[in-house]
Amino acid sequence: MSVTEYDVVIIGAGVAGLTAGALLAGRGLKVALVTKGEPTACLSTGGIDVCSRHENPLPGIQGLPPEHPYHLVSEEVIRQSLHDFQAAMADAHLPYCGGVEKNRSILSALGTSKISCLVPSTMAAAPRNTTESIHIITFKGLKDFYPGYIVSRRRNTKFSVYDAGVSTTMSLASRFEEKEFLETFLPWMENLNIKEDRIAFPAVLGLESAAEIVRTISMRAGKPVFEIPTIPPSMPGRRLFNALKKNFRQKGGTIYWAWPVVSTEKTGSVVEAVTTVSAGRPNSINARAFILSTGSFVGGGLTATRQTILENVFHLPVHIPGARETWFDNDYFSLNHGIGKAGILADQSMRPTGADWKNVFVCGSILANTEILKNGCGHGLALATANAAAQSCAEYLSDEL
Amino acid sequence: MNYEHCIRCTICVENCPVFRVNPDFPGPKQAGPDAQRFRSAREKAQDEWVLLCSQCKRCEMACPCGVEPAQIILREQQRYGKEHQQTPAHLLFANNYYLSALGSLTAPLANFIAETRTGKFIFRKMGISTHLPFPEFRFRKMSREKKRLSRNARKAAFFYGCFINFYRPDIGRKIIQLLSTLNVDVVLPPQWCCGLPALGNGNLALAKYFAQKNASSLSDYIDAGYDIIYSCTSCGLCLTRDYPGILDIPQGRKIAESSYDLHEYILKLINEGYAKPQFGTVRRHIAYHIPCHLRALGIGYPLERIMAGIPGLKFEILDDACCGLSGSYGFKKENATAAIQIGSRAVSFIQKTGAESIVADCGSCRMQLGGLSGMPAFDPAEILCESLGITLEK
Repeated sequence: MSVTEYDVVIIGAGVAGLTAGALLAGRGLKVALVTKGEPTACLSTGGIDVCSRHENPLPGIQGLPPEHPYHLVSEEVIRQSLHDFQAAMADAHLPYCGGVEKNRSILSALGTSKISCLVPSTMAAAPRNTTESIHIITFKGLKDFYPGYIVSRRRNTKFSVYDAGVSTTMSLASRFEEKEFLETFLPWMENLNIKEDRIAFPAVLGLESAAEIVRTISMRAGKPVFEIPTIPPSMPGRRLFNALKKNFRQKGGTIYWAWPVVSTEKTGSVVEAVTTVSAGRPNSINARAFILSTGSFVGGGLTATRQTILENVFHLPVHIPGARETWFDNDYFSLNHGIGKAGILADQSMRPTGADWKNVFVCGSILANTEILKNGCGHGLALATANAAAQSCAEYLSDEL
Repeated sequence: MNYEHCIRCTICVENCPVFRVNPDFPGPKQAGPDAQRFRSAREKAQDEWVLLCSQCKRCEMACPCGVEPAQIILREQQRYGKEHQQTPAHLLFANNYYLSALGSLTAPLANFIAETRTGKFIFRKMGISTHLPFPEFRFRKMSREKKRLSRNARKAAFFYGCFINFYRPDIGRKIIQLLSTLNVDVVLPPQWCCGLPALGNGNLALAKYFAQKNASSLSDYIDAGYDIIYSCTSCGLCLTRDYPGILDIPQGRKIAESSYDLHEYILKLINEGYAKPQFGTVRRHIAYHIPCHLRALGIGYPLERIMAGIPGLKFEILDDACCGLSGSYGFKKENATAAIQIGSRAVSFIQKTGAESIVADCGSCRMQLGGLSGMPAFDPAEILCESLGITLEK
C-alpha cells in the first residue's frame, strides 16, 4: 500500500469540490482531490443558477424554506463566492456575465427561456424579449439540436444549415477551434445576408476559446451572436469543468482521476485517511481534513436502495424525506419529488450533523433539502457552500496547529 | 460494473479523442455499453468499427458510474479479431516483439531499409502509415545489460518493455543507474513483450501466450523478494490490469500488487526516507504530457511530485489531450489521419505553454509529439539523471 500525506483531501470533482479545493490550495495548503469520474457539471448548460424560481436570486433565497442549506451561508459569502467565481473564470478565458442582483434569461434549445444568474459570455447576447428577430445557424446532420422547436415557438425566427462535414457537438466544437475552418465558414455566413437582429448557434463554438470565437463571428456579422445550450454532450458544461480544473491546478492542487474511495480510516472523532483502489494496490491518502462533495444520486454521492438511502464514502447518516411511497410524485415532470430533499444535513460549520467527525465538511448537491430542480439552485449553491466549507475547514486546520 | 450501469450521460463521449475526429467511430457509449446490449455470444462479431477504438481508456477515467466502456470494446475487439481475417498490419503489430527482435539483430540493415523509399512503399502496401519516422532499432539491446547488485535492502526486477529494449536501451541503462544511485539492487528478469500490442490488434491468444511467459518469470522474482518496476506506462497497465483481468493469468493478482511505476517507486523511496537524492538544478521549461495510460493506472502523477523538488525546473502538466498514436494504432493506415488530428491538438496545447521541450513517460507519446511538433521529447529518467548528475557509463 502506498501512502501519501495532504492537508486536505477533497472527494468529488464537481463545481463544489473544485471550488473548495482552489480556495484551500490558494491559502497555501496541500490539497488533493480524488474523484471516481467526471462530474455532472459536464452535462450542465454551463450557467450558474443561484435561485432561478424567483425574479431575483437574493430575495428568492430568503423565501426558501428554513431547512434549505442556503440558510447555512451568509449573504456576504454568497456574494463573495459568485464574485470569486467570475474572477477565476475570467482568468481562465471563460468570462461569465451577470450578477447576483438579478437573474437573466437565456434561450433554451426548445425555444423557451431558461432563467439563470451568471451565464457564459457566449450566451449573454440572448434576446431579452420575444419581439426581437433571430437567425439560427445549425449544422447538417446535427442530431442533438432541432431549430424547428424554436421556430415553432418564437415569431421572427429563421434558420440556416451549414455543412461542416461533421455532425456531432464534440467534432463541431473541434472544427471551430481550427483557423482554416473559420475562414471557410465566415464567408458562407456573410453570403446569407442575415437581416435578423441576432444570430444564434447551438453551443458548439469551440471548446478552449469559445468566448473569442463568438467575438470573432459577432464582429464579422456586425450583430450580436449567442449560443443556445444543447443536450449532453454539452460543450458549455465541459468548458466550465475545464476552467474550474485549470483554476484548481493553478492554485497548486493535485487531482487523482478514477480513484473511487472504498474505505476510510478513523480514530476517535477524526477521519485519518481514505483508501482508494487503483490497478494493482490500494492507495491510502492521509489528510488532516476532508471535504465531501460527491454530489447526489447521479453524481455518485448517494445510492438509493429499496429500503433506504446510503452515503457512499463516509457512511454518514442520510436525511430521508419520508416513507418510500413519498419519494416520487406520480407526475414525472413535477418538481415536487420528495427524493429531492434527500442528502446530508449539515450545521453552520458545514460539518455533517448526526456524525461526530470533527474534520469532515460537506458541500454541494449532496446536502439535504436542496431540491435543486425545484429551486433552480445547482451551481450557485455549490459555489456558496464550497466557500463556507473551505472557510470552516481552514479555521479548523489553523486551530488544530 | 457492467453495461447495464450506464446512465447514458455521454461524459465518456466528451472524453473520446477518436470520436472527436473520426465520424466512422460511434464513440465509447455506443460502441461499448449501447451496442453490448445487442451482442450475443452465439452470433458472429460484426461491429468492425470497434477496431477504431485506440484503447486510450479516457472514457473509463471519466465514467461517473464505473462502466468501463473501453474494456467492453476491448473484449469485442478480441472476439472480432478471432472471427475475422486479420489484415497484414494487424498481424505484424501483434507480433511486434518478434519483428523487433529480428530488426534489432539486423539493426543497421533494418534501419536502412525502413528509411528507403522502397521500404516505405512496402510499409504503405501493408497498410502501415509512414507519417512518422519509424523508431531506429538498436543493436545493443537492453536484455544484454548486466544486473546491479550490492546487497541493498531494496531489490527491484526491471520490466523494461519493448520500446526501451529495441529502440532506446540507453534510457534503460540510465534507469538502472538511477535506481542503483538510490541504493536499489536492479536485476533484469527474463521477459517478453507484455502482450498489449497483441491485445490491441485483436489477438487474445498471442497476448495470453506472452503474458503467461512473463508471469512465470516475474512471479519467481516476487517470491524472492523483488519489487517489479516498469517504466512504460502501457506495459504497466497491462501487467496490473489485464493480467488479472481479460488475460486471466493465475499469477496476475500477485503481479499487479507487486508492480510499481518507476516514479511511483522513487517517490515511495523518498517518502519512506529510504533514499535521499540530492537533486541538482536543471534549467529547463518543459511541458509534461501525461500519457493516457498513466492516468489509467490510477496512481496519480508521481513524477509531478518528484519534479517539484528539482530546483530551476519549470514544468506544466498537460493531461487533457491524448497524443493519438496509442502504440501501433496510429501506424495503421486507416487510423493515421485520426492519429495526426488528435496529436495536433495535443501539440497545440504544448505550444501554448511556451515550453522548449516535451517530457512524457511513454515512448510512443514521445515519438508522436516529438514528430509532430519538431520539439525534443525526453523520457523523465533523462531529466532525473541530468538533475542527479548521472551520465552513462560506457
